[in-house]
Amino acid sequence: MAPVSARWTRRRRDVATAYLLLAPAVLLLVSVLAYPLGWEVWTSFTSLSPLQAGATAFVGLENYRQQFEDPQFWRAATVTVVYAAVTSVAKLALGLGFALLLVRPFRGRALVFLAIFLPWAYPASVSVIGWYWTLSPPISTAYAVSMGNLKYSVDSIFGGGAWAFLSVTLFNIWRGSSFIGVLLLAGINAIPAELFEYALLESKSPWRRFRLVTVPLLKPFLALGAFLSLTSAFADLANVWMLTAGRIVFPVIGTHAYWLAINAGQYGPASALSLMLVPLLLGALLVLFRLFDTPERETA
Amino acid sequence: MNPKPWWAKLGHRSLILLATVYCVFPIYFMLVQSLKTAQEDVFGNPLIVVHPTLENFAELFEREGEVRGFVGSALRRSYPFLDWLENTLVVFAGTVALTLAVSLAAAYALGRLRPPGSRWWRRIIFATYVIPQTILFVPLYQVVNGLGLDDNLLALLLIYPTTALPFCVWMLSSYFQQLPREVEEAALIEGASRATAFFRIILPMSRPVLVAAGIFSLGTVASDFMIASVFLLSAHNQTIPAGLGTMEVALDELAAVAGINLMAIPVVLICAVFARGYVRGLTAAMVEGS
Repeated sequence: MAPVSARWTRRRRDVATAYLLLAPAVLLLVSVLAYPLGWEVWTSFTSLSPLQAGATAFVGLENYRQQFEDPQFWRAATVTVVYAAVTSVAKLALGLGFALLLVRPFRGRALVFLAIFLPWAYPASVSVIGWYWTLSPPISTAYAVSMGNLKYSVDSIFGGGAWAFLSVTLFNIWRGSSFIGVLLLAGINAIPAELFEYALLESKSPWRRFRLVTVPLLKPFLALGAFLSLTSAFADLANVWMLTAGRIVFPVIGTHAYWLAINAGQYGPASALSLMLVPLLLGALLVLFRLFDTPERETA
Repeated sequence: MNPKPWWAKLGHRSLILLATVYCVFPIYFMLVQSLKTAQEDVFGNPLIVVHPTLENFAELFEREGEVRGFVGSALRRSYPFLDWLENTLVVFAGTVALTLAVSLAAAYALGRLRPPGSRWWRRIIFATYVIPQTILFVPLYQVVNGLGLDDNLLALLLIYPTTALPFCVWMLSSYFQQLPREVEEAALIEGASRATAFFRIILPMSRPVLVAAGIFSLGTVASDFMIASVFLLSAHNQTIPAGLGTMEVALDELAAVAGINLMAIPVVLICAVFARGYVRGLTAAMVEGS
């Protein structure tokens, strides 16, 4: 009887310790995110505005309804979805390419790995400023003319602002493909090598091995990469803002909401707008959990 | 295995070359610009630097009243770059340390002690990534103001850890979860406490994963521009990204690019030193999933 109860008290103490250790993380997340999130949800149902004289009124779903009737919203939504889809697919494809390139040894692999790791390691907060400078140089620099010509030819084909948007896309892909490449490389390393060796015996065609073995085995890691890429693309406000210097011609949901809140003082619609992305991301997250979190193994 | 035909080798080589150039070129370009004199910036070849100079870097540390460069002294402004450097150092080091400590504790609880509902705690923490950041800083400003942290580095030390924390907890807890229970058992039977077993056995074992979590949080903090610019207003309290964002770019382009490099080089060096560990740590954390 005694050992059982000893184990029982030990377990209870472990559970108490666990909650104690969990507390700082939860407290931190709650203190930073809970109130703002609650505020955003509440505000999306009200007419709150710093520019408005009267009292704030509860307007129910009006802010959401209003968005659906606004052609600007549909434009922003389309651009966001296209942007997220294009960047995510490009990042996953390039990242997978990088990972497969690095997985087998060759001379100088360590250096090439470092090169591929660089775009992510290079702090984006400043590289985005550098990209802006590179792509829209001050008039005095030696390459201003050629870069300007490039800008005008792109803009004349796709419409004004296309160059700026292209530069946002390129920047996002450049940095993201580096992160996903390293993530997938780690993923491939985590898969037992025997599985790839069996595959080599089973099929001579590298394409078949890639399609039937590599991709299915990498699925959880691809999903993780896709999820992180989608969240960054949907929330990509700072980069769009920076790289287009605030002259938004192709608004994404993020910049549209930011503009509504800061320039037009419409907190209600802006909150509604930013929350509209949540169901999409939650859907992606559920897929991720299904793929990644399945084996519930019995351990300690 | 039979040897590869020459065209396959050539294809492999050129793919590697292409990938390397694609990844490194923008960084190389920024480095080259920062080493140029104003004359060369205007008349030289954009892709190379013939007379490299560190004067743009030196300029960042100069105070008011000094004349340098093409545009002339009247248009030059000076920036408290040393303050920015110090602030950045404090914020980055503090954030990485805080993120690691907090996520290590949470991950140990979730992966090792397994309280009831640990799986859901882990998912909920990770799910905070779906909260849209777009205009979150408006209410966040109220929180920061309420805590009296307006225009204070501590505001960033509070906000930044939450950005990398979910991924770090996820990664560390899956690593802890897949460690066999025998790892600690012997020590526990010998009468060691959970804490001793953790510090003596688990912590040393999990070094690669800790490195991965640390590098991830460094990369995440270093990528923020928005939060720093919103919450740090006065010039002396800013970090380098926030400060560079306020520079009069059309006039100080070369100094700005030098500032970019000055911030990037240490971060990149740290990442490069730990790059192998980063992959090893990610791998160790992911073995569980497959």
